[in-house]
Amino acid sequence: MASDDINLLVIVVDVNPIWWGQQAQRETELTLSKCLDAVMVLGNSHMAMSRTNKLAVIASHCQDSHFLYPSKSWGAGDSCEEDASSSGDGKYELLSVANNFIAEEIRKVIAKTDVTGNSTDTLLAGSLAKALCYINRVAKDHEVGQETKSRILVIKAAEDCALQYMNFMNVIFASQKQNILIDACVLDSDSGLLQQACDITGGLYLKIPQKVALAQYLLWVFLPDCEQRAQLVLPPPVHVDYRAACFCHRNLIEIGYVCSVCLSIFCNFSPICTTCETAFKIQLPQMVKPKKKKLKQQT
Amino acid sequence: MKLRVQLQCKNLHEYLRELSPEVLDRLYDHPATCLAVYRELPSLAKNYVMRMLFLDQPLPQAALALWVKIDSQKDHDECVSVLAGLRLWHSQQLQGGLQGYILNPVFKDNLRIALLGGGKAWADEGSSLGPDRHARDILSLDRYAMERWEVILQFMVGSPGAAVSQDIALLLVQAGLMKSEAGEAPYITSAGFQFLLLDTASQLWYFTLQYLNTAQSRGMELVEILSFLFQLSFSTLGRDYSVEGMSDSLLTFLQHLREFGLVFQRKRKSRRYYPTRLAITLAAGVTSTSSTLATPGTGDAGFIVVETNYRLYAYTDSELQIALVALFSEMLYRFPNVVVAQVTRESVQQAIANGITAQQIIHFLRTRAHPVMLKQTPVLPPTITDQIRLWELERDRLTFTEGVLYNQFLSQVDFEVLRDRAQGLGCLVWQDVAHRVLVVSPQGHSEVKRFWKRQKSTT
Repeated sequence: MASDDINLLVIVVDVNPIWWGQQAQRETELTLSKCLDAVMVLGNSHMAMSRTNKLAVIASHCQDSHFLYPSKSWGAGDSCEEDASSSGDGKYELLSVANNFIAEEIRKVIAKTDVTGNSTDTLLAGSLAKALCYINRVAKDHEVGQETKSRILVIKAAEDCALQYMNFMNVIFASQKQNILIDACVLDSDSGLLQQACDITGGLYLKIPQKVALAQYLLWVFLPDCEQRAQLVLPPPVHVDYRAACFCHRNLIEIGYVCSVCLSIFCNFSPICTTCETAFKIQLPQMVKPKKKKLKQQT
Repeated sequence: MKLRVQLQCKNLHEYLRELSPEVLDRLYDHPATCLAVYRELPSLAKNYVMRMLFLDQPLPQAALALWVKIDSQKDHDECVSVLAGLRLWHSQQLQGGLQGYILNPVFKDNLRIALLGGGKAWADEGSSLGPDRHARDILSLDRYAMERWEVILQFMVGSPGAAVSQDIALLLVQAGLMKSEAGEAPYITSAGFQFLLLDTASQLWYFTLQYLNTAQSRGMELVEILSFLFQLSFSTLGRDYSVEGMSDSLLTFLQHLREFGLVFQRKRKSRRYYPTRLAITLAAGVTSTSSTLATPGTGDAGFIVVETNYRLYAYTDSELQIALVALFSEMLYRFPNVVVAQVTRESVQQAIANGITAQQIIHFLRTRAHPVMLKQTPVLPPTITDQIRLWELERDRLTFTEGVLYNQFLSQVDFEVLRDRAQGLGCLVWQDVAHRVLVVSPQGHSEVKRFWKRQKSTT
């Protein structure tokens, strides 16, 4: 029965134009197109593994998150496009169609980008939320008696953004509740948020030492699903940075003030909680008053 | 009492393992077969292949052994033997004198092509012919495929009006599913009954295996038709493909597939064909046996409800399905869209006498269970499945063991000496001390006899 379960892999790729632009200027060993090639290799291998394996790819940009595959233009007017796209080589038809879609969509995403204003952070939390929604939809669609096992793989390039802390945590706990693994493959600097995500959901966190070998790392570590992971020897869990971001300034803090009602975190004391608007009264003399009343009643 | 003939349905691995090494190597020369073989590997082995796919040097065995945790060493050994058995990898001496593994280069290249592109196209796609004026949609293809397949099943149960070609009839006889005596129409065998109770995917696979076994005697190239079959199973439903560039034996094969309902061709001479859902699930239906293969639209969706009081409701109007249900149950009522039957001891034992096993009956009920039934776990009421098994066990009170009888011992001591010896060898089947009789298994007979001769000469 196990072979009939649907295995859904959602890959979230960070396509932050600023980071990739800087990367291209600094060194040319890993460019966005090479990264996407590696993602396609992983996706193809995943889909080739079994007929019931499904794939979704989401590009996480700094303005929106965009489904690369399956895309919205899937149903409409694809017949002529598909004929042209199924390249005349020995690739499995389903895979070549999928790859062409991914390439087409990423081209669209990059083309329509104009970085204006100061929003330069990748909207990773939003993309993850989108991935969760998609997983939920697939799980609801399946036939009776079939189970869906889903996991999300984040390929993270740019820096963490403490502004998204709240949304990120909500996404993590939602996926923990749904038994969805979050894996992270980090290209550049360590990400505390993703470390927490992987630790809480039971996924794997890996900061790759050599960027050129991205495809091999992906195949090696992130291709096995959770059943096979129990059998294989994989990179040991990293030390997790569990610092939380305060709600007032979005700074990462180790010790702070916590609202006793809603558990919001603050880096300095404020008499009224900004989240639930509880007023804190920490006056001792109030404790004395009822005692006096009681005494009077007794006498 | 005749021994039961069990219908053996091999899976793809077992089939491939029996092929000769040269045939296997030639088979891997096509991306489609590589992909199909890859999909059938155990999941751990799949990961091994993927990890080694882009390595050009052999990998030391010691490094490979470190891939798995210690407690799943058994799975690891199994994967290693499966991969070696299918000639997907072989060991090679490394420079330092260590043993290493390297993937079969032909397989590696073709799997890479299947995954990442390059190489030649698999089949000429219909695009060169221009759009089809008589294009078929998926629904009508499904209907067509099911119709064709049902005709073959109908023919097997001997319904009037179901006619198949000479070739198919011959194949059914060769497969042992039907028997024909000179001048008479063929009739169904006990293996045939078992065949009918399988789900469509398994039926199809069994039948295909039989076809492949006889293919060489028809002068067909085994490698050629196998790769074509796998290629079909990876094609897209509802798309047309062209017959351009196919050899004569492949064209005959295509005509046979057309008769099974695996492909749709409007006319015999038509230049294009459509694979149907049957062809596409062919390679998938080998290992998985659950109900999910009864894909919607193939008319094979669940229709049976079984209750704990042994009542069986079958929501169908197909004569064939009703006949199948009647194989192991007593018909009570018939309505236009539903039949009511009762599963009884007599009816089940009747079926078992026909060579059908309890497991097959239960499998039949489970794979054709109504969607309402599928919602509960287990799908079938445990009382029913247990009882059907118990009814089968009732018939299995006798077991047969071959043996050699030793009797007419002159003294109790002689008997005991020989008995102890036989017991020590582990070949004693049965003994009766009071009558000084014992039975020894045929394997142990010569040893026991030699011992007895030595024993007699010494005393």
